[in-house]
Amino acid sequence: MRVTVDRLAKAYGFLWALRELNLELTPGECIALLGPNGAGKTTLLKLLAGLITPTSGSIRFDGVNFARGAAALRARVGLLAPSDHLYENLTVRENLAFFTRLYDRNSAAAAIETALAHVSLAGRAGDYVANLSSGMKCRLSIAKWRLLQPELLLLDEPYGVLDGGGIDLLEHFLKQQCAEGSIVVIASHHVARVLGLCQRALVLSQGRLTFDEAKRQPWPSFDRAFGEFLPQGGS
Amino acid sequence: MTLVRQAYLLLWKDVLLELRRRDSLLTMFFFGTLLLFVFHFSFDLAPEKIAEMAPALLWLAFLFTGTLGLAQLFQAERDNHCFDALLLSPLDRGALFLAKSGFNLVLMVLVEAVVIPLFWILFNLRSWNLLPQVFLVTLLGTIGFCVLGTLMSAITLRARARELLLPLVLFPLMIPVILATIRCMEEVLHAGHIGEAMPWLRLLLGFDVIFLTAGVLIFDWVIES
Repeated sequence: MRVTVDRLAKAYGFLWALRELNLELTPGECIALLGPNGAGKTTLLKLLAGLITPTSGSIRFDGVNFARGAAALRARVGLLAPSDHLYENLTVRENLAFFTRLYDRNSAAAAIETALAHVSLAGRAGDYVANLSSGMKCRLSIAKWRLLQPELLLLDEPYGVLDGGGIDLLEHFLKQQCAEGSIVVIASHHVARVLGLCQRALVLSQGRLTFDEAKRQPWPSFDRAFGEFLPQGGS
Repeated sequence: MTLVRQAYLLLWKDVLLELRRRDSLLTMFFFGTLLLFVFHFSFDLAPEKIAEMAPALLWLAFLFTGTLGLAQLFQAERDNHCFDALLLSPLDRGALFLAKSGFNLVLMVLVEAVVIPLFWILFNLRSWNLLPQVFLVTLLGTIGFCVLGTLMSAITLRARARELLLPLVLFPLMIPVILATIRCMEEVLHAGHIGEAMPWLRLLLGFDVIFLTAGVLIFDWVIES
């Protein structure tokens, strides 16, 4: 799936969260979405996910406008919010069964068990989500999107709640998604980690796209312009 | 996946969550019976007068208990941003409307199945043979309430003080349903059969069909805006 963002803008009342954003995302790309707090990262992710409508401009998936009501297009987009989007009073297994049925994907018990085993939650399949830690909920979200197989996967601060094993699991999953042709967009403040995974970086500042380049080593333009985002002063 | 299958899946999820939490049903049940006892101790009327007032008193109880249910209707979706998870999915928003209306209908019918016979017992009414017809009229009125209530509940979903706002928005719009249901029940209890109530019954049926269809068609727009 090719995603074209054309002159996208979003205002909340009189405040412009995003202005005049133009982007082209191609299949198999893993993209880091960086920027300080309030730069518009989450707004961009929500627009790409179809959770909010743009004030002006458009998002097109393979040339088709991602307007409201586009159920078929929505099935191709995923948003991995680390501990959200799960029903607390359903069990781990019931959550996966519910969402796979909702997306008309393989909801067979064996597929669900395999996905849970992959994220080391097989032993917790019968537990309520409310009883899981934040890290475990994030693992469950990984299992969920592994089953739902979106062509555009958006992630909002995925690293905060995961332990070392969880981060390895997430990164392995994201690499696999890109290898299969999906587009992955990761918004994060863990700059060094996310740049280690992605091939392209976008930087937003005050709602404007100020940097959009493919990764290279060394990367003086990134270091020069955005060194303040890097924890150790280098990419 | 068809609209009906999606609605069934969502309804199954809501019923499962309610079976585990039981907060909506228990609250509605206790509030409904509590109101009946308040009415019982407040009105010292002869049985024939009570029969005249029964429809209005019953619907007063159903309105308040139903509004409690509506206030909780999207609670599972408010937790953990699950509403966003549904909006993100390829779900037909009409299915969400059908499921939520259906779920509220299930809760209200369960409450009514207890409250109506309890009313007959508390006020010593003897017309037990009219209960099936009273239930039928109540069911049609309840469908209208749930359909319109779900729409209003979705409209006020992100509003501040939505528990206060919901009845303020809902009750004026409910007047045709309340009026038709109460008149219909009065005719049934007065005449002893449903034949006399047919014009009100048709109005009620028409209201249900119109708002159910409108709800399925405009729910997408309602939740987007």
